[in-house]
Amino acid sequence: MNIQTKSQFVAVASITSELSAVMVVAKEISLAAANAKAIAFRAGDKAKGFQPITDFINELAKETIDLVTNINVYALSLYRLTVNEYRRTVAYNKFDLVVKTTEGVTYAQSMQAPLENAKISMQNCQRQFKRDVKQLLDQLEAVMHHARAARVIAANSRIEASQAGEYLQSLQAVAESVDKAAHTIHDNVQRCRIALSLYRNS
Amino acid sequence: MKMTKIYEGSYQWIMFGRDANKPSNIIDSNQYAVRTANRCLLLEPGGSELFAPMMAAVLHHTPVDQITDLFASHQDPDVISSLGLWDQALSNAKLHAPAIWEGYLRHFGCESIEYVPIPDNGGTIKLDSVELQLIPAHYLHSPGNFHVYDHHAKILMSGDVGSAVEAPGAPMYVDNFDSHIEKMRYFHQRWMPSNQAKRAWIERVRNLDIDILAPQHGRVFKGDDVKRFLDWFDSLQVGIAV
Repeated sequence: MNIQTKSQFVAVASITSELSAVMVVAKEISLAAANAKAIAFRAGDKAKGFQPITDFINELAKETIDLVTNINVYALSLYRLTVNEYRRTVAYNKFDLVVKTTEGVTYAQSMQAPLENAKISMQNCQRQFKRDVKQLLDQLEAVMHHARAARVIAANSRIEASQAGEYLQSLQAVAESVDKAAHTIHDNVQRCRIALSLYRNS
Repeated sequence: MKMTKIYEGSYQWIMFGRDANKPSNIIDSNQYAVRTANRCLLLEPGGSELFAPMMAAVLHHTPVDQITDLFASHQDPDVISSLGLWDQALSNAKLHAPAIWEGYLRHFGCESIEYVPIPDNGGTIKLDSVELQLIPAHYLHSPGNFHVYDHHAKILMSGDVGSAVEAPGAPMYVDNFDSHIEKMRYFHQRWMPSNQAKRAWIERVRNLDIDILAPQHGRVFKGDDVKRFLDWFDSLQVGIAV
């Protein structure tokens, strides 16, 4: 296995790992939203501006979970494609070696068709991989967008929390946890994108 | 890769082995081909490391599109880990292999090749007018294991039974049975797990008319050495690791 193939396997496997961490964090945001809703309900008029924000947070968390679930399916298919491409590349190289070592042998010519087919299969896999990587990058961009939106909501939450009297600390804690979670999602997804972007145009 | 015709009549048996370019840390193995008018069967086609030299050698005898059948006596990598490569090279082939190993062997890659599962009591492979019998050899050493008998050529391809660990470049045929014994003893004692299975196999094989016993490793037995081998194996205690 050459270095490029090894890195490709590692890149695809690392996406699944990074995304499972994103999933945990998105579920934490969802919990934080439920918590915030309960606090805002108790705070009544003092947290009036905070109440709609909790719905936004919850919705954002759910959308992120859905997106990541879809991306995981994609990442798995990308992994299978990587295995397939590896197998076809190995076959092509072995067939090529057979052709090179059988010059003048009685039935050497009959190896041309398998060699040509292996080449086409290998190239199809490579093209498919590039297409799938591009689509995966687009989906990861959507998660990044959600993470950025969560940070804006966290900033608004802090402002609303400052007017919530004795509930200030609780609501600020909610805003902090949303901000931290958004940060984590952003970093993890960014690592996925960096790992994959090497293969978009390779 | 050395090639030796071990039978030539209206069809041929060809033995492949002693690949000089094989990595030194993988066991040497014998591959066989039965070539009829329009078809070719590869027996124990070998590990993935051996695919290219094996295919290159086979092309001396048959075009790729006439390799219609593969046979694997059992699941070991030195027998059939090249399956995924044959699968991509052959457009219309069957793999005859023990039924109980199907789900395992498919891990090597078996998408276009048709897996023909051999039931526990054996079966046959027909190649043009040649009919080969699949003789049960379970637990010798694998739990699902078959040998191939050609009653016309009087050849038994005996998988790991009769195998010996040899120096590189050893001759193809046993030339001195007594001196060959020490090359086989530990292999059979350690790899063959069951005296009961061994006795059942010997009883079955003694009823066959065999001129050539062709194992997957080491040298081929001819003539009286076949009976000498069966007598020696009969008296050997196997399964010594417990």
